Amino acid sequence: MDGTDGADGVRDGMDDDLDAGLLEEELRQAAAALDPLPPALLQIAVDAYVLHRLDAEVAELTFDSLVDAVPVRGTEDPPRMLTFSAGEVTVDVEVTAHGLMGQLMPPQPARIEVLGGPRPGSSLTADDMGRFTAAPPSGPFALRLRTAGDVIETEWLRT
Amino acid sequence: MRSGTVPSAAYDDVPYTRGGTVERTDVGALVQSAVGGDAAAWKSIVEGLGPLVWSVVRAHRLSDADAHEVYQTVWFRFAQNLGRIREPEKTGAWLASTARHECLKVLRNARRLTLTDDPQLLDRVSQDGTPEQSLLEAEEAATQSERVRRMWQEFEELGDRCRQLLRVLIASPPPSYQEVSAALGIAVGSIGPLRQRCLRRLRARLEARGAM
Repeated sequence: MDGTDGADGVRDGMDDDLDAGLLEEELRQAAAALDPLPPALLQIAVDAYVLHRLDAEVAELTFDSLVDAVPVRGTEDPPRMLTFSAGEVTVDVEVTAHGLMGQLMPPQPARIEVLGGPRPGSSLTADDMGRFTAAPPSGPFALRLRTAGDVIETEWLRT
Repeated sequence: MRSGTVPSAAYDDVPYTRGGTVERTDVGALVQSAVGGDAAAWKSIVEGLGPLVWSVVRAHRLSDADAHEVYQTVWFRFAQNLGRIREPEKTGAWLASTARHECLKVLRNARRLTLTDDPQLLDRVSQDGTPEQSLLEAEEAATQSERVRRMWQEFEELGDRCRQLLRVLIASPPPSYQEVSAALGIAVGSIGPLRQRCLRRLRARLEARGAM
């Protein structure tokens, strides 16, 4: 029961809808005043347009230890294991507090850019075996890999 | 991509019942323009749907740092997938669904690492002298400001489910039910009744405090 039965039943229907609408609108104004979208975040999203690239193929996240793995008991801070796939190419990434380690399959050299947002990221290379290391990302990150023939970007993710 | 999938297409035929979609009827066209290189179209999308993404993140009660990172992740991923969005007219639902999935990941991870709540969140409203409050008080009559503050406090103290639903519903401009459904993983058909119920509960709380 909701307290509008009996004599108050007349409040149901149209009046109730109207009241609800007014209350919701008042609450919307309160949210806009007390918990608005921070302007800096709005700007970052506007700037993110440069991340739109037609030439890159997106490697989708196909495994995430946070979602797909049973947590290991007794391990306080297990590494985050991620696998990204784009066609025949997969990228395995392991992130710990100490760094990011990656393996490109099939093994091949690549130039890699570690992106952290709209600004240019740091560059590194994968060796002939497709292995690479980088500093641990803080916040959202994506890898842009340039192999002999392709540009591949891992799906944006936060660690 | 998995995290950007709208939960169900079963409600596609349900007519929109809310005003927000009126402003958004052209989001499909804006996305097409942005794909073609129109930065102004991109900006319009961000300005129109940024508050919705923020509301979804806030509805999940993340810490400030997590909320900021999830918000960014959602937009970076949208930019990355801009040319591959299958139903551009449902961009709001895509963003809301992506935000939801990232929020759930954060919560899952947090639960694994620690069991303590962030007390800052609970104190947020009761803190005095935030910039927002000062601004309000300068611009409006003190009584009006007090009313807004009190309403927000009652809202924050609603049960989790109502607080979460209402936090998404009160995004500006108002989201469509399809977007709310994607944001919270609940059926479109249950949103209307839940909304009525939660607003009644909020009203009752305000009345009990003599604030109505």
